[in-house]
Amino acid sequence: MVQEDRRKEILDNLSQGVVEYEEDRVEKFSHAAVDEGMNAFDAIMNGLAAGMEIVGDLYDKQEYFVPEILMCADALYKGLDILKPHLDKVDKKDAKGQVVIGTVQGDVHDIGKNLIKMMFDVAGFTVHDLGRDVPLESFAEEQLRTDAEIVALSAMMTTTMMGMKKVIAMIKQKNPDVAIMLGGAPVTKDVAKLFGADGYAESAGNAVQEAIKMISQLRKIQGNGVN
Amino acid sequence: MATMTPKERVKKFLKREPVDTMPLFSGMGLVTVQAIEKMGIRFAQVHDSADYLAGSATLSSEIFGFDSVIVPYDMCTIPEAMGRGCTTYAQAEGILYPTVPTKWETLDQVEINADYMHQARMPAVEEAYRKLVAQNKFAVGAWVLGPFTLGGQVIELDLLLKGIKKNPEGVHGFMKKMTAVVIDVAKRYQSLGVDYLNIREMGSGTDLLSPRMWKQLIQPYLQEIFAALESPKILHICGGTDLIVELMNECGADGLSFDQKNNLAESRKKIGNDVLLMGNFDPYGTLCQMEAADVEPVIKGCMDAGVDAVWPGCDVWPEVKKENVEAWVATVRKYGAQPTPAVGRA
Repeated sequence: MVQEDRRKEILDNLSQGVVEYEEDRVEKFSHAAVDEGMNAFDAIMNGLAAGMEIVGDLYDKQEYFVPEILMCADALYKGLDILKPHLDKVDKKDAKGQVVIGTVQGDVHDIGKNLIKMMFDVAGFTVHDLGRDVPLESFAEEQLRTDAEIVALSAMMTTTMMGMKKVIAMIKQKNPDVAIMLGGAPVTKDVAKLFGADGYAESAGNAVQEAIKMISQLRKIQGNGVN
Repeated sequence: MATMTPKERVKKFLKREPVDTMPLFSGMGLVTVQAIEKMGIRFAQVHDSADYLAGSATLSSEIFGFDSVIVPYDMCTIPEAMGRGCTTYAQAEGILYPTVPTKWETLDQVEINADYMHQARMPAVEEAYRKLVAQNKFAVGAWVLGPFTLGGQVIELDLLLKGIKKNPEGVHGFMKKMTAVVIDVAKRYQSLGVDYLNIREMGSGTDLLSPRMWKQLIQPYLQEIFAALESPKILHICGGTDLIVELMNECGADGLSFDQKNNLAESRKKIGNDVLLMGNFDPYGTLCQMEAADVEPVIKGCMDAGVDAVWPGCDVWPEVKKENVEAWVATVRKYGAQPTPAVGRA
């Protein structure tokens, strides 16, 4: 257990370290959290994820763009790698589920996918990352193998977006309850609806905003006073 | 009434000389499945054959009445010639564009082979240009990716995006290498007699980069490229561009092309009437998804916003609805006799 003042100090440094993309600072205070017996889940959600929420606001205000977000994500992962092994069993048990993620065949760009993956990592999902340029049938096969509740597909180009429709049909045919998220520059609300998807994000930055909204919800549900 | 040949119309237009009517052309791919199917081939077969490239471009324009032809259709020709490979998805169902399967892992590893211009499909693309120029029927367009977008094909994009802050010298060194390649290839295509050249710096919009970063990282290299090229030369960027219109206009291109995210009327105000403005309908939504009856308002909307020519915001997705493309063409022909801000009428 750490004193409340110290807890706040560590959380502030984790949060600001993410915002200012200071990997060394995040590393130092993640170790401090572990060494001083702080709850790892608290440090992740109210330190690292809280920092990413501020990053989302800065993106909204067009103060930050994708390069800054990527560096913030690096800082976040620096802390996540240290803190995650120390999650209590009860927090691990609270893991939200499993997600299969990847960019569809024909698309080798994966920035948006990696940012969404980060959100799932932070939120405690078990992530099955198929990578990029993934053959369409692999998404359905991996979903069946893992029984994942969510499949997240990304395409950066119009020219690869059509593959998403086939994947959705394949998965929904076998398991209609799977939630399907689409992401990528050419994906619009209309396209997502037309393809039968359950959610969408149109750009890497937008993906982060969507991700942060989900994390914010999660933080509210979990409560901010974990100690 | 049309009094000019397609080639004549586009060439005059690009010099901002009066034309009989608005030309129907693009600086991005215009190939359609209607042409591919008529040739009895598959899309995956097109990319490495000069005959198929030239044939499919020509047939697409003949079927729909475009004024130009443009090749190649994929973005891998130069990366492949640099040894990065090319996946054509020969067995995939439907349309899939080739991609680059292997990238250099670090900026330090990037080494451009001196003979890349003669490697892989580069000779086939050149031969396709020769054939298209020789047939002397349509205006012949060529395009090359801009240095940042080309860079994103041969190296992980996040290396560049993060490197701008963490390793600016390394990133600028890399950009210089890419810029030299873009200039070499673009000049080579111009030497073959193409009628216009489009530099597609499509991955550099403000979806990714801040205007400040665009000015530091993208603009100097585009200025170098446009200074090295003959006119007519056009700059196209996809995605968010409203914040960088003026910066784009300082690069030295004769015309600017935007996709559907751009506020064209505002852009026209920013660049004035001395620069060609092209854009900006959503090619997939307009030509593949919507009902044909809904196409005219979209095209007319671009014209009313002040374009000099209605261009799709990106490559035309080949699986177009025939009647939608016909509606695009008909709308431009219907209203195109009116002069536009930068081009008068003969």
